[in-house]
Amino acid sequence: MFEIKQLAKRPFHMNKTDDKYLLSNISAEVVRGEWISLLGASGQGKSTLLRMFSLLHSPDEGDMLLEGISFRNQHPRFWRKQICYVAQQAVMLTGTVEDNLKVPSQLHQLTYDSQLAKRLLAAAKLSDVDLKKDARELSGGQMQRIALIRSLMLRPTVLLLDEVTSSLDVTNTLAIEELLKDWHRNEGTIMIGITHDLKQAERVSTRTWFLAEGTILEDAPAKQFFISPSTEAASQFIISGQAEVLAT
Amino acid sequence: MTLFTLSFTLLFVFATMMISYWQKLGLEKEIAIGTIRSAVQLLLIGYVLQYVFQTENYVILVVIICVMIGVASWNAAKRGGGMHGVVWRIAISISVMEVLMMGMLLGLHLIKATPQYIIPLSGMTIGNAMVVAGLFMNQLKREAVSSRGEIEALLSLGASAQQALHQVRKRIVKFSMIPTIDGMKTVGLVQLPGMMTGMIVAGASPVEAVRYQILIVFSFTGSAAITSILLSVLCYKLVFTKDLQVVVFQDS
Ligand SMILES: Nc1ncnc2c1ncn2[C@@H]1O[C@H](COP(=O)(O)OP(=O)(O)OP(=O)(O)O)[C@@H](O)[C@H]1O
Ligand SMILES: [Mg+2]
Repeated sequence: MFEIKQLAKRPFHMNKTDDKYLLSNISAEVVRGEWISLLGASGQGKSTLLRMFSLLHSPDEGDMLLEGISFRNQHPRFWRKQICYVAQQAVMLTGTVEDNLKVPSQLHQLTYDSQLAKRLLAAAKLSDVDLKKDARELSGGQMQRIALIRSLMLRPTVLLLDEVTSSLDVTNTLAIEELLKDWHRNEGTIMIGITHDLKQAERVSTRTWFLAEGTILEDAPAKQFFISPSTEAASQFIISGQAEVLAT
Repeated sequence: MTLFTLSFTLLFVFATMMISYWQKLGLEKEIAIGTIRSAVQLLLIGYVLQYVFQTENYVILVVIICVMIGVASWNAAKRGGGMHGVVWRIAISISVMEVLMMGMLLGLHLIKATPQYIIPLSGMTIGNAMVVAGLFMNQLKREAVSSRGEIEALLSLGASAQQALHQVRKRIVKFSMIPTIDGMKTVGLVQLPGMMTGMIVAGASPVEAVRYQILIVFSFTGSAAITSILLSVLCYKLVFTKDLQVVVFQDS
């Protein structure tokens, strides 16, 4: 179980005495097998929240516990190994595609599961990619999928997905959704994913968090959220989201 | 050469200042200060060295080397502005380098254990180490910005500080050693090094002068490598916060 208690973060550039918050009052309990879609307008702090979950930013107040252990009582590297953030901007590390996939096992002195890598590559429609190719020469969409697989190889307890299908076409997006659904079913990984694609959120998630006014304004089961959101802000958000889909 | 004849070289300085004035480069003041400082510093050290060589006083020898290391560290540390505790890290790196280099040169009887050899050689290797350390600190800061994505990607996968900075560190060490290695490749072809020129002018045979120059060049490479690697060990944690995040350096 992943517990978040009254988490708060102050704005990036300001003195500590000011009493404003970028994010505040973030509380939730997430159990194994849940898949949360984190929704909200651009610039609301969705990425910041996920990055805070994996300690890439330090919370200024509040606590987070994984299986009852606070992040304060654990070395950040072990925390991050369990709560893994997949970045909005995929970054390839020096070396080949295969080198990149091997990074998690190297970092933690584990054996590299080449079968698993192969299976995931196939599921992500990347079987054609030459594993010996320099990873930095891949296309944006390929990098994004490799970065996702690289994080899966870590087998984290909580997976934080920051718009991981943002540079993919429809076919590949659906393939990645299937891959993640499979993974979710088999591993029971807690998924918390940001997306601007409301249809995708409806397809994959069991629960939604609507981020507005610097907090999780609405926390509801996915089905309920899309049918009858309880706040005006959220229904506005859903309506404008649907209008966007119709416009394209 | 008398001081009187030496003073004619000031003509070069005046010429430069005239050009600066004429071209509105605004360098006159800097040149004047630089001229006075270099003249005073060099004349002073000349007298100090003469005294030390005559008395063979080893306490003064050690003091001189410590001053050299101190000045070099302080100067190089300015390149890492915004980072804390840089000066003593550089000082340790250069000191260890100095002890190792001198230990080797003296142990293998490459030079005699007199101030006449120890001071000039120390000065040159410490000077070179200063340049290396300055480049290292400057590049460390730049990499913390430009390679932020790479470092964070590794941290997200549960890397330790050392693991997350491994590649970056290799790049910085390499970068800081490039001028030394380039200098080694072109020495004698592009420029005749100052020490060798000085020895030849003072009457030593070119072959003798070259031998010492080779010693210097090799010492430079060794000192650059030792300084840079020690610094990378001592300094890599400076780009991380206590929560193992990449430090954001404010542009000064
Ligand atoms: N490293 C940073 N330094 C300074 N400000 C930052 C930093 N990261 C984010 N911010 C600011 O924090 C706010 C929230 O940013 P965040 O990236 O979390 O938004 P988001 O909800 O993920 O938006 P998007 O949907 O566009 O990705 C923004 O105003 C942004 O400018
Ligand atoms: Mg974002």
